[in-house]
Amino acid sequence: MSEERRAPLDPERPWNDWLRPTWDDAPAEPPRAAPAPGPGPTPATAGAAPTLGPRIRSVAEVTREIKDRLRAVPALRDLWVEGEVGQVSMSAAGHCYFTLKDDRAQLRAVIFRDERRAIPFEPRTGLRIVAHGRVDVFEQQGHYQLYVDMLQPAGLGDLALRLEAIKARLAAEGLFEAARKRPLPVWPRLIGVATSAQGAVLHDISRVLERRWPLARVVLAPCLVQGDAAPISIVAALRRLAAWRDPLTGLRPEVVILARGGGSLEDLWPFNDERVVRAVANHPVPVISGVGHETDVTLTDFAADLRAATPSVAAELAVPARHDQALALRALRARLDAGTQRSLRHARDAVTAEGRALDHLHPAAVLAGERERVGLLLDRARVAMDARLGSARTVLGRAGERLPVAARGRVVRASTSLHAARASLLALGPYATLERGYAIVRDERGGLLRDASTVAPGERVDVRLAHGGLDARVEHVRDSLP
Amino acid sequence: MSDPAAGAAPTAAAGTEAAAVGVAEMPFDAALAELQGVVGRLEQGNLPLEESIALYERGVALHEHCARLLTDAELRVQRLVESAGGALRALDLTPDDAEDA
Repeated sequence: MSEERRAPLDPERPWNDWLRPTWDDAPAEPPRAAPAPGPGPTPATAGAAPTLGPRIRSVAEVTREIKDRLRAVPALRDLWVEGEVGQVSMSAAGHCYFTLKDDRAQLRAVIFRDERRAIPFEPRTGLRIVAHGRVDVFEQQGHYQLYVDMLQPAGLGDLALRLEAIKARLAAEGLFEAARKRPLPVWPRLIGVATSAQGAVLHDISRVLERRWPLARVVLAPCLVQGDAAPISIVAALRRLAAWRDPLTGLRPEVVILARGGGSLEDLWPFNDERVVRAVANHPVPVISGVGHETDVTLTDFAADLRAATPSVAAELAVPARHDQALALRALRARLDAGTQRSLRHARDAVTAEGRALDHLHPAAVLAGERERVGLLLDRARVAMDARLGSARTVLGRAGERLPVAARGRVVRASTSLHAARASLLALGPYATLERGYAIVRDERGGLLRDASTVAPGERVDVRLAHGGLDARVEHVRDSLP
Repeated sequence: MSDPAAGAAPTAAAGTEAAAVGVAEMPFDAALAELQGVVGRLEQGNLPLEESIALYERGVALHEHCARLLTDAELRVQRLVESAGGALRALDLTPDDAEDA
């Protein structure tokens, strides 16, 4: 027994003796190689040498070790990979498994169901793509794979990275800050548009403005909106709009719309160009961006004073709505009429008051009759005016945006009836009484004089006659009529 | 009896003309702002009748001008052209041009 112990590596010994490990590290794992019966050491002697020989590990252990080491590499936790899509398969749970390959290697990849929903792009065999994600080990199957959270057609991955870089730099400069955003003019008289002279965009913008606020004028600065020459062309168009002053009206653009129809990230790339973004941010008048469709976002959108989802929406946001203005105008008109009627009522009350002052000088019966006529006529005038204004307003209300010619006619007639009411006031007020030789006398403060004792000699009085008046001075004061 | 009325008529006509002075050339926003001012003054009251009526006539002229602008305006589109020297000109662009171009 002791001899055998001293020669443990005797090649004549059975292989399963010295290979036999201790299973301390993984007690759950049953020993795969049980000591074979027969010649050789007894179990007792084998258990006495546990630390001898290489350490044996479980599969799980090894896999865990690889996983830990892989996870410790920062470059594998956040990376972009470009390659061609090989086999694609979809699991019942909705996860998408595929391989990415080039001419020298393959990489397994997976997009989980939740990520798939967020990515507007599906891998298909043969496509060249750029995927973003992390590399990790899938222990159960013993392979490493790319866990994808973003996917784009190849050629754009580079753009996406550049976009992030430019965005970060310009954001650090404060170019996108909310404090930089300027308010838009409420009633722009001249709107600058920078877009392609071709294509539907200008047409869409014009159509919206025509419907919504045709009072505005539009000046187009045509530019290229796609390709390598586009950034310089866009910057030049913005510069022209900044410099433009209409020689006839003296108007300058008060707001600028920079617009383009929808397209791929590559198509829209000029609107991520730093020169364009800076030209938008530094433009002398507020800029509305209307680039692409709802889902497209460019750096121009961040730099603009207002971002519109589409060119048409940009036009909507640039001007007030004609319909709203028609409503506001109608409300003002109603207030104008009401205010004027109130003034008329006050005037009538004043006439009544003056008539009362004449009571002292005129046989009551005659004056009462006169006053009644004035009152009746004024009432008639008021009723007539109310009726006409009322019907004019009803027509306006029905007409919606368009103020019909008929309504205008009624408004004019209402105005005419106002004149008639005023003529009644003049013809039938106390002045008619003056025609018969009476006079209205006021003191220096404009108060009506009814009692001689309230004035002193030397005071100025104002005498109103049927035709003209007298600035007079009191010579004597008598207590009673002569 | 008819004299005072006859005397008042020319004044009223002159007032109507005066009320419309300058309105035709006003841009919408200026006319609307003045109309708001007119209404505000009328609503405050305490105005002599003469002034009320003058204001009313001015208000009507402003209102009709604004309403006409809203109804009759036609969008005008021009296109900027830069000459070799860098000078800018604007050429009229009809809606049809915009579609064809």
